Amino acid sequence: MGNPQALTALVLAHQRSVYSLALRMLGLKDLAEDLAQDVFMQLNSNLQSIESSEHLGFWLRRVTAFKAIDQLRRRARLPTTSLDEEAHQYADTDASDPLLQTHLARLLDCLSPQARAVMLLRYQEDLDPTDIARTLDMPINTVKSHLKRSLQIMRQKTPGAHLARPEDYST
Amino acid sequence: MSEDLESQLRTALRPIAPSAALEKKLIACVTAKAPLAPPVAGRRGRLGFHPRARWLSLGVAACLLLALGIQHRLQERHERENGLEARRQVLQALRMTSQKLDLAYEIVKSQSTSLADENPGA
Repeated sequence: MGNPQALTALVLAHQRSVYSLALRMLGLKDLAEDLAQDVFMQLNSNLQSIESSEHLGFWLRRVTAFKAIDQLRRRARLPTTSLDEEAHQYADTDASDPLLQTHLARLLDCLSPQARAVMLLRYQEDLDPTDIARTLDMPINTVKSHLKRSLQIMRQKTPGAHLARPEDYST
Repeated sequence: MSEDLESQLRTALRPIAPSAALEKKLIACVTAKAPLAPPVAGRRGRLGFHPRARWLSLGVAACLLLALGIQHRLQERHERENGLEARRQVLQALRMTSQKLDLAYEIVKSQSTSLADENPGA
């Protein structure tokens, strides 16, 4: 893994995932960039322990999520961002309903750090609950209840929304 | 809104590409020569102690506290035993004194009885 080209390819393959997790966990672009750099610096020191491409993805998600949760715990409150900045942060998607999707992304801020991490790993990273539990060192039932509760909160705060298969996460 | 909320979430939470500047920084982070293990001095804590020395001192302090606690308990037990022994001795002394007094009383009583027998008119 010492080959610079391989390392560059590795960054290109995983940077979106790490940066998006950091940004959506912390809510601020600057903090997310710092966190992403921190994660890749740590990767640099731990390259020897990475066993495979899957392990690398797991490792990056895990370190990013834990670092973000730690930061959120240290901060009593998220610094507020201007609406323009938020719109810029979340407007990079070619969404069918950009307003709704910005609203949904914002709703993540209402969730606890752990619940937010669970939701992001589920809907951003498309991990199943078992992998989320493994990534966050959480019992699978806790993951399922976070998913269920978070979706309920989002449904309540999104008039007209309905959940698909909420029973999928019943414990 | 009739669309499935979960699929909306998936769309809303699609990964975002970082800026080109950040991409360069991230590549630099990974391709930079990995830092060597920090020297012992670099790993020292806020007070300048080596972590192993800190654990050692904590262990010594814990042993010292344990020893003090044990010594205190032993001393307490010793004092209690001394107290019980003193109490036992006092009780024994009282018992002996009582026996002596009984004996003296018996002697005095028998003497006064014999004197009265010898001098009935007295």
